[in-house]
Amino acid sequence: MIENLSPETARDWILPAALAAIAAPLAGSVLAALGVARRMPRRLAVTSASCALAAAMAVTLLWEAGGGHAVTFGEKVGGGWPLHIDGLAAVLLPYIALVELAVVLVAPRRALEEGAVMRTFLCTAATLALVCTSHPGLMVPLWVATVLPVWLSTKANPGGRTAARVFAVYLAASTACLAAGVAMLVADPPWERSSGLTGVAGGWLVAIAVMIREGIFPFHSWYPALFSGAPMSTALTATMPQVGAYTAVRLLVGHADGVASELELISQAALVTSVYGAALATVQRDLRGFIGFLALSQSAVVLAGLSGTLPMELNGAFCLWISSGIAITGIGLVTWALESRAGTIPLDSLQGRFWDAPALAGFFLLFGMATIGLPGTFSFIAGDLMVSGTLDDQLHAGLMVIVSTVLSGIAVMRCWFHVFGGPSAVDSPRHAILRREQVPMTVLFLTLVAMGLNPRPVITMLERAATQILERSPPADEGHGHDAAHLAPPARTPFALPEKKGTPRC
Amino acid sequence: MTGHGLLALLVICQLAAPALALVAVGFPTLVGRAPSETFTRRVVGGGFGAAFAAGLLTLAALAFRGFRPEVVHLGSWFSVGHHDATIDLVADALSVPYVCFSTGLCLLVNLFAGKYLHREPGFTRFFILLALFGTGMNLMVLAGSIDVLFAGWEFVGISSTLLIGFFLERGNAVRAALRAFITYRVCDVGLLMASVVIHRAVGSGDFERLFGIDWPSGTCLVPAATATVISLLLVFATLGKTAQVPFSGWLARAMEGPTPSSAIFYGALSIHAGAYVLLRCEALLEQAPLAQWALIVIGTGTAIHATLVGSVQTDLKSTLAYASMAQASLILVEIGLGWRVIPLVHVVSHAILRSLQILRSPSALHDRHELEAALGGHPGAGNGRRRRWLPARWECGLYRVAIERGYEEMVVGDFVVRPIHRLFERAAAAERWWIEWLAGDRVRGRR
Repeated sequence: MIENLSPETARDWILPAALAAIAAPLAGSVLAALGVARRMPRRLAVTSASCALAAAMAVTLLWEAGGGHAVTFGEKVGGGWPLHIDGLAAVLLPYIALVELAVVLVAPRRALEEGAVMRTFLCTAATLALVCTSHPGLMVPLWVATVLPVWLSTKANPGGRTAARVFAVYLAASTACLAAGVAMLVADPPWERSSGLTGVAGGWLVAIAVMIREGIFPFHSWYPALFSGAPMSTALTATMPQVGAYTAVRLLVGHADGVASELELISQAALVTSVYGAALATVQRDLRGFIGFLALSQSAVVLAGLSGTLPMELNGAFCLWISSGIAITGIGLVTWALESRAGTIPLDSLQGRFWDAPALAGFFLLFGMATIGLPGTFSFIAGDLMVSGTLDDQLHAGLMVIVSTVLSGIAVMRCWFHVFGGPSAVDSPRHAILRREQVPMTVLFLTLVAMGLNPRPVITMLERAATQILERSPPADEGHGHDAAHLAPPARTPFALPEKKGTPRC
Repeated sequence: MTGHGLLALLVICQLAAPALALVAVGFPTLVGRAPSETFTRRVVGGGFGAAFAAGLLTLAALAFRGFRPEVVHLGSWFSVGHHDATIDLVADALSVPYVCFSTGLCLLVNLFAGKYLHREPGFTRFFILLALFGTGMNLMVLAGSIDVLFAGWEFVGISSTLLIGFFLERGNAVRAALRAFITYRVCDVGLLMASVVIHRAVGSGDFERLFGIDWPSGTCLVPAATATVISLLLVFATLGKTAQVPFSGWLARAMEGPTPSSAIFYGALSIHAGAYVLLRCEALLEQAPLAQWALIVIGTGTAIHATLVGSVQTDLKSTLAYASMAQASLILVEIGLGWRVIPLVHVVSHAILRSLQILRSPSALHDRHELEAALGGHPGAGNGRRRRWLPARWECGLYRVAIERGYEEMVVGDFVVRPIHRLFERAAAAERWWIEWLAGDRVRGRR
């Protein structure tokens, strides 16, 4: 039905659809806070998340039907608009909503008390709103709105005090850097012309904020700590959307004088982090720690690719953003399901869980393999593009991505064998996989396979997004208001490469 | 339908048949509705049977047209910038006989395993992994581009690892599987980098742009320097799966898996996967004397190592593993010498013999026990030949080297694996300390 809409009509409907995607989890959060559906919290959570997913998918389809142009609403401030739907947002919206829906489906009953649901949905609503905007002034409060519920949830979790403290220390610093950096960037914007000292300082502050938020070495410690101490739903909701990477794309990519030098620093630090995270994932003593470091490594690879000057590098980073996010969400959900049966799972000896939950073992293996590029899944394509792009761009970067992939693979297989290998405890109960666990895990994996077997639609969307971000072309019409959808020029041509890396900014 | 269309359909069938069997058995198992033993055995066997039949028909069609190669373009998978990943399959004098041979062997092992693993708890899992292996093997063999070959190569590695660790309740099996996987992953770096270099050199992963698909007389289409780099990377990639020194330690331990998988993986197909890749790219090797020499040196060294170590093994499966390693090494030497048909004949004949030996090994042991019971004692074994040729001191020295497996594992473990592992452990400990300190737990704990 949406395909039959005229491009103009489709663009007109994007704003309501995007607002619906944000409003659905927000409504879920408010209803949970009011104590509605106290007896059936899962029904409320699943309804909210399903509505968000439907609306997010509608945004994607409308964006595609609208010709694949960047659609903006409101007045441009700094480098962006209050509402900005381009290829990246069109892909990220359903991705975030899908992750959220999977999380609430798999969540055990005790993780669905009112406070937890309220905080989780508040975080999701803020994240969805954040990826719909490129307005620097709006990004700061939304960034805060994504951080606070995570901190509160972690603090409220039994045994989460350490993680909450570490999270608070790092994320407070990160938020302060972002706020100061954005203020400086707005005062001295680098997007249309080369910026002065204020703009440069603002760029560096934003870069530090991004590095902390993405857990880039040496600001990474909160990341695995969060996975160890927070509820799995909180850890996944906080990390999988990669708010830091999105902020980097909106605020640090597409400067008038080429690739921002701070982005290059982030890229190099991210490469180190990707290897470091994967290396530490191989020696973790518990399952949560393993997931934390694996997720850290994967998000660092994404960030490393964002400073790429080659189309396939940037596109590979975007693809990896989605594929590794889905795969790690899958691993996280399997872990959560295992923990709900048997408590925390150490990795210092063989746990023999295969005999208890063979279906979960299968899903863990599939998601684990997908994380490291299982052929036939979207991760294989993302990995191929990342490795080829980084090797083409910088030899050492490509080699580090390869080393990281190798170490991640070893970590995944070690973890799988340690969790599921070994003799079963004689009196261990057998737990069949529940329908509410099986359905989201199957859907997540099939999503990866579907995008892997037919990757063109997603790659084309992300390619257009990358072109629009790199070119930073101003809209054809500078009108304002909801009724004036601004259209960036169509980007059907191959990438226009930014200026040579390392161009001095001042 | 034209002749080309029919040939393309047959080639696709060789690939699709085991893949469909994999989905038909794997998906219901994943969603908790594991099929019965009979259904599993028949579906997987049917997949291999269909692929085998399609292979034979393709072979006949190829023979009819004088073994002129047929490239089946299934289109572009995805394309970004200059990176164009195409799905091309090749039917030629190398790939089609190899598919017939590999699917035929898989079919036989399928029949054998249906009885051998009857009522085994992991029956369905074994057949899923066998179908995954068959799909990966056919993908690798029929690949007309490095991207497709890499995908098949990965499937072979994953299925191999999971079958080594098939008996998950045994600690040794799990450790052996992990060891094999680590070796594979390290060596896969070579194939991954070769893929990137090929894309960079010719703009896509197509073998057609790299060398003439006219096996065994293909010609190299890239400069010698590029051919050398790609060949060296391919040689490195093959060292893991063919268990060459210093990556050979996993093979003897891989026999922890069930006998049918040991036969097909380490006696027949997986161990020769590297040789197949080198044979496929032999036109490149011809332009790369450095890579050829590397193959000869590594192959010869591993052959001597495997023969020596294999001669002191005390169990049948380990002896067979080292015998496999020695033969695989000799095949690599033959490829290094620039021979083309002889290594292929060697691969096929060795695979058939060795898989038969491994499949026979459990009953051979049974026969041996019966013989001992009938004779009332040990029948004895003659190993006097070495004594005739070597002085006693050399004999002892060689025995010690052989029993320690050439000190290969000790050197790799002490000088590579353990230092790296220790470094990672220390970093992890530092991380824990830092988090505790930051959260104030450490200070409070001391008080």
